Amino acid sequence: MARWLRLYEKKRGHRRTGSKQFASLGEALFFSVFLVAGAVFFAVMFANLVIPEWRANRHFAETPAVVDRVVIHETESRDGTITYRPDIYIHYSVGGHRYHTVTYNIQRETFTNREAALTGAHQFKFGEEYPCWYDPMDPSQAVLVRGYSGFIYVILLVPISFFVIGTGGLIYTLSHWGTSAERRAALARGATRLDPADPAVQRQRQFPAIPADANQTNSPGTTLAYRLPSAVAQGWSLFLALAAALAWNAIVAMFVVMVVQGHLRHEPDWGLTVFVSVFVLIGIGLLIFLARQWLVTTGIGATRLEISDHPLRPGKCYELLVAQAGRLAINSLEVQLACDERATYRQGTDTRTERRRVFQQQIYRRQGFEVQPGVPFEGRCPLEIPGAAMHSFKGDHNEINWKLIVRADVAGWPNFEREFPVVVYPPANGQTV
Amino acid sequence: MIGQQHMTGTEGPQLSLSPERPGYSTGDMLSGTFSVGTLELSEVKSVELSVLWYTEGKGDEDMAVHYFLRLDPASEAWQQLGQPQSFSTRLPNSPLSYEGLIVKVRWCVRLRVFMRRGRDAIEEVVFRLGDVPPAGAIP
Repeated sequence: MARWLRLYEKKRGHRRTGSKQFASLGEALFFSVFLVAGAVFFAVMFANLVIPEWRANRHFAETPAVVDRVVIHETESRDGTITYRPDIYIHYSVGGHRYHTVTYNIQRETFTNREAALTGAHQFKFGEEYPCWYDPMDPSQAVLVRGYSGFIYVILLVPISFFVIGTGGLIYTLSHWGTSAERRAALARGATRLDPADPAVQRQRQFPAIPADANQTNSPGTTLAYRLPSAVAQGWSLFLALAAALAWNAIVAMFVVMVVQGHLRHEPDWGLTVFVSVFVLIGIGLLIFLARQWLVTTGIGATRLEISDHPLRPGKCYELLVAQAGRLAINSLEVQLACDERATYRQGTDTRTERRRVFQQQIYRRQGFEVQPGVPFEGRCPLEIPGAAMHSFKGDHNEINWKLIVRADVAGWPNFEREFPVVVYPPANGQTV
Repeated sequence: MIGQQHMTGTEGPQLSLSPERPGYSTGDMLSGTFSVGTLELSEVKSVELSVLWYTEGKGDEDMAVHYFLRLDPASEAWQQLGQPQSFSTRLPNSPLSYEGLIVKVRWCVRLRVFMRRGRDAIEEVVFRLGDVPPAGAIP
């Protein structure tokens, strides 16, 4: 057994990759559970809810019935919730045989609202005659109210969705069972090339595994060819800092109120007080970070990078323009060219990402100058991509990212760093310069 | 992997590049031959030949196939699989082979023989695309 179904396969550094066979078996079991649960629940609900309702509306035969008694039956659940069910006692005759039954509609509907139950029950008066519908297969079964309940069909969507997910997942798993990774990759590649007229598909065919550079070339510069986009929009980083600070401190505030109330009642919970204090400190840290982001975003002004051409090629030289707006006294401003490797891997249920810088070079530095409002500082410098540079690379779990980093030391303000991704293509014929 | 073994020598499947060279440039023609060697064709379910790149290193593996050929008993060339069969493909512009710190990109030709019984057999020839030097750590 162990020979054919190993839990672990090849070792990768400190980790082991899981067995594909075992993973496929697990997937198949997982989706089978969905499929079976969906099918069983659907069958049970269909048999007990849909078919009886359909038969009551289509197959039950009409006959007059006399109301003997009208009762609202109350039931209290364990959590104290009371439900109300109209119970209408009737008698009627079928084929010379007299039947007594308690009924309302086929579902024996219950209400959480007493008024609603009363409204339903008060349609029927003691001693009066109303039409009822009995089951020809079992005349002792009869209803006074017919119609279709929409909620049944909404509830049916639950087992149907289980069934669809289970069936789809099982078909996918079984169709890939025993298929080699290469064949799956070849099929996937064929699927991505379905639209050869798409420029993105054409570019991907010409330069596989190289990230798209549309973002770098869709904004013309005012001086040079392209204005490079920032890796994280400054507004977004401010928004994220704001959201994190608000969410954290709102939750912590509720615990703070509990702690303070305890102290005011002279019943302090010192354990909770210490515990909450740690979270309060983190909340203060988030507020400081928010204030810093606020200052950087609103006070320092935009940083603009423009480049003479894009994508970049190893061994080629380009012109770069760095512009800084705001009202600032800058101690130093520098631009660096950097390359990072980025690897993502799963460890248990966690997904981890590791980055390692493999290239970093200062390409511009200016010290001790001031920026006046409305007159952005502008500096120019050459940018040379190393001849032996690896091109940008993007896989599902591994990346090689080139970027320009603007780093500034500003008098009286927090220092800041802004990144601008660039895409480096491979050299002609793949040979380094 | 489960049910797989790399076979070497003259008994298992045979795979070779012609001419044999360690490195290629983008756009070069990669050619070679493959066969099931001395394996009985009646014992073989199918044969897959792939030219592919894959990643090694810290991250989970990425892989993409550049050239893929699958042969089974319904294929015309099936009966000749005991003799070397030629293949060729023009190598793409990217990704280039790369020896990074936590990301490595490798190219190879992989011959996978699916047996009717027992383990599948794999023969692999690794080659370099481009000549990007290994990455160094930044202090």
